[in-house]
Amino acid sequence: MNLRKWNNILHRDIGYLCVGLTIIFAISGIAVNHIENWNPNYKVEKVEFKINPIPITSADEMARDVVQQLKIEDDIESTFRISPENLKIFFSNLTIEVNAETGKGIYEYIRERPLLYDMNFLHLNYAKNVWTYFSDLYAIALIFLAISGLFVLKGKKGIKGRGAWLTAIGVLIPIIFLIIYKYF
Amino acid sequence: MRVLLLSFIIIIFFFIQSSFAGDEGKIYGKGISLKETTKISEILAKPDENVGKTFLVEGRIIDVCKKRGCWMEIASDKEFETIRVKVNDGEIVFPLSAKGKLAKVEGILEKIELTKEQTLMWKKHQAEEQGEEFDSTCVNEGMNIYRLKGIGAVIEE
Repeated sequence: MNLRKWNNILHRDIGYLCVGLTIIFAISGIAVNHIENWNPNYKVEKVEFKINPIPITSADEMARDVVQQLKIEDDIESTFRISPENLKIFFSNLTIEVNAETGKGIYEYIRERPLLYDMNFLHLNYAKNVWTYFSDLYAIALIFLAISGLFVLKGKKGIKGRGAWLTAIGVLIPIIFLIIYKYF
Repeated sequence: MRVLLLSFIIIIFFFIQSSFAGDEGKIYGKGISLKETTKISEILAKPDENVGKTFLVEGRIIDVCKKRGCWMEIASDKEFETIRVKVNDGEIVFPLSAKGKLAKVEGILEKIELTKEQTLMWKKHQAEEQGEEFDSTCVNEGMNIYRLKGIGAVIEE
């Protein structure tokens, strides 16, 4: 078997192996590329409310009063007073911040974005540990796919013809961008 | 081929399970190496003397950076007092869902001196990051920020 045949077999099979992760990383890449405009992991929803003012006592007592007025049935996970009159009450995926004197407050619901959270978890390597090595392997596989892809076809449409021009354009785009960005 | 695939999945499953779990919670960054915790109130009582020192602190997570998870605010043992733990973007990402949970954090105390203009910019940035309104008239002078540069953390699950 000649080299090109081996190249094509490996390119094909490693390509199949990389499909799943490539799609996941690409979708996550688009999501985190716009991190300045949105939170790609969580959906945060804020709702204002007003209750009757509550006496300033201990954080736990104040929290009980707030929960009673708001008729929340979930268990309180913890509380914290930012200042004597400002209280935070934590539930699972919900935080309430309330001013005891005015009774004004905010519900803050936090929900993971379905699928996208997990894609970002993998792409941004939140897990570290073993996933770091998987990601390295994947990156090496991508490098192999890029290089082996150059030699899949021979002839006019291969790297000696049309392929050379397209490859050159692909390489030049980031180089030109960098030159403009740095020196102009 | 099917046996190979199944074996591969099982091995990965056990490998991942064993490498992520901590005894006390989920580990972030380099985890914690110090044995003894220091009270946040003690660190902040004489902050200048403690700058550059490494501490292990424990407290409830009051707030987390909504955009990048690059900082969290930890409640002190003293009422109304908190300390911020800042990490380099992407190095450690604290989950927004950690709000209200207990955390042990190891970090180095650092001091940042801000002029009035820098304070204005910093508070504006914080408000934008948290999706809150910002009132520029509340800034009349510069400020010093004492915060922990986070090395690692364990957050209860």
